[in-house]
Amino acid sequence: MLGGVAAGLAAHLGLPVAAVRLALVLLVPLGGAGVLLYVFWWVTVPSGDPRAAAEEARPAASSRLAPRLRQPGRRLPLTEIALGVLLLAAAGGLIAVRNGADLVGSWVLPALIVLGGLTLAWSQLDAVDREPGRPGGRTPVSVLRLLGGTALAGTGVFLLIGRDAPMEDLVRSALAALAVLVGAALVLAPWWLRLVRELSDERLARARASERADIAAHLHDSVLQTLALIRARAANADEVAKLARAQERELRSWLYDDRVTPGTSVAAELRDVVAEVEDHHGVPVEVVVVGDRTPDERTAGLLRATREALVNAVRHGRPPVSVYLEVGPGVVEVFVKDRGDGFDLDEVPDDRFGVRESIIGRMRRLGGDATVRARAGGTEVALRLPVEQEERTT
Amino acid sequence: MSESQRPGGEPLDVVVVDDHLMFRTGVKASLDERVRVVGEADSVDTAISVIHELRPPVVLLDVHLPGGDGGGGAEVLRRCADLAGEVRFLALSVSDAAEDVVAVIRAGARGYVTKAISGPELSAAARRVAGGDAVFSPRLAGFVLDAFGAAADVATGDDELDRLSAREREVMRLIARGYSYREVAGELFISIKTVETHVSAVLRKLQLSSRHELTRWAAARRLL
Repeated sequence: MLGGVAAGLAAHLGLPVAAVRLALVLLVPLGGAGVLLYVFWWVTVPSGDPRAAAEEARPAASSRLAPRLRQPGRRLPLTEIALGVLLLAAAGGLIAVRNGADLVGSWVLPALIVLGGLTLAWSQLDAVDREPGRPGGRTPVSVLRLLGGTALAGTGVFLLIGRDAPMEDLVRSALAALAVLVGAALVLAPWWLRLVRELSDERLARARASERADIAAHLHDSVLQTLALIRARAANADEVAKLARAQERELRSWLYDDRVTPGTSVAAELRDVVAEVEDHHGVPVEVVVVGDRTPDERTAGLLRATREALVNAVRHGRPPVSVYLEVGPGVVEVFVKDRGDGFDLDEVPDDRFGVRESIIGRMRRLGGDATVRARAGGTEVALRLPVEQEERTT
Repeated sequence: MSESQRPGGEPLDVVVVDDHLMFRTGVKASLDERVRVVGEADSVDTAISVIHELRPPVVLLDVHLPGGDGGGGAEVLRRCADLAGEVRFLALSVSDAAEDVVAVIRAGARGYVTKAISGPELSAAARRVAGGDAVFSPRLAGFVLDAFGAAADVATGDDELDRLSAREREVMRLIARGYSYREVAGELFISIKTVETHVSAVLRKLQLSSRHELTRWAAARRLL
């Protein structure tokens, strides 16, 4: 509830959260074991659902290379600030009360204040974990947290120690302690600064080195090879154009797309089919995909029919050729369109039997259907395949 | 593609913003005689000053730009928001990534085309943007359908901005399938002007919809 420790434990052990919370509460009377464990886990256990985190954290090698555009606007953690202000107000009120009547002669309240301060200061560890990608975690909020926590803890300690001392003595000793702290900080500051700088330099250098190695490997594997091929075939313009297009496609996907795991995406398989047709026939094809699902045998059949339609469009139609794949809740649809003069299905000669058999026949066998529409603007082949709805829709 | 006719036959003034000199030169060479390049810029900061100085009717804006706070083309759009209505932006990019496209459109661009576009098509797109219409490439239409949900929307209680009407969805689907505006009009038995109205309405929804899923969707595209 406080730091999410019980929820984290529950997720780890596969138990209901309530059971874990109950166990922790039951452990409290045993010398405060529950509280100690809670605080220990809070500090040491990383936050977040580990499975979700693993899914979210993509290996650097498979995420896109081009920098993402930065989005403006960040929310202030108002609840935390409010909590800090509340605690500070409580401390101030306590001092005021102390000046008047000795209501808080006991050690409980000062101890609570110390605890509150410590919690506030330590909670930034937690916050750093929750906001990855902000190295150092030295946001204004975390500085505020540290200062507030220190002030609270200091106040609590003074109240605790100087319960019977007069106010002037307290203030004087507080000033003295503060002076000592400031002196020590001034002496240690250069050393600490150097440490921090060395750490961040080292981290940066390591990240840069691995990134460079990754880029170098890729450039060597693909771009360099293609350039060598292009030089070797410089006389053949078609060949060079084809090589350049294939390389462009690869580089583009490397720069701007995140890589997908093979066998998880119909969209990626369609792009592979299109790439193959493009390479083979040297005609550019525009691909648009809406939705996605996990491929199975039937979508594989659909893609084979798509391939036939594409080859047909590329061979007999005029560019631009476009493919549109839409994965709906109960149906997968593919449209292949070209700008050719079109043809009449009934007049298709026997040597172009491909359309009727490999597209329409195939789709019927899969339980779907295919229509060919020829008009002035070009020919469009529409393929429909009813599918069962997937559990996970992305 | 049809284009909105400009009276008087005056050439259309545009500013080209791109960090690659080669590309700017290529654009200048490929635009037809009815589009005139009056200024160029190669970074976020120079773009903002050039646009404020020249106030061109259309800016061809690259999505990935150096300088500024690293916001690229979207940052130029945000910092030129005071010129809204006077200067219109057409986004150009080599990237097809959904999050880049959505970022510039949400920041106020009137359209999005990839850099592979031909000269005559780019000229027509620039004139279309100048005429106040939106330019949707098949891919952008695909993104819209993906973001708003391609299937018929069941949640009818939503804000009107968060849904596409059946007609708008139909237009988007046809554009995604590679139909030109004229072909869409013929297919649906409506006028080209009506198609343009639908497309502009979709653009407005894309820009203004507070639908939190839109941003989440763009971020989730990384996982696909």
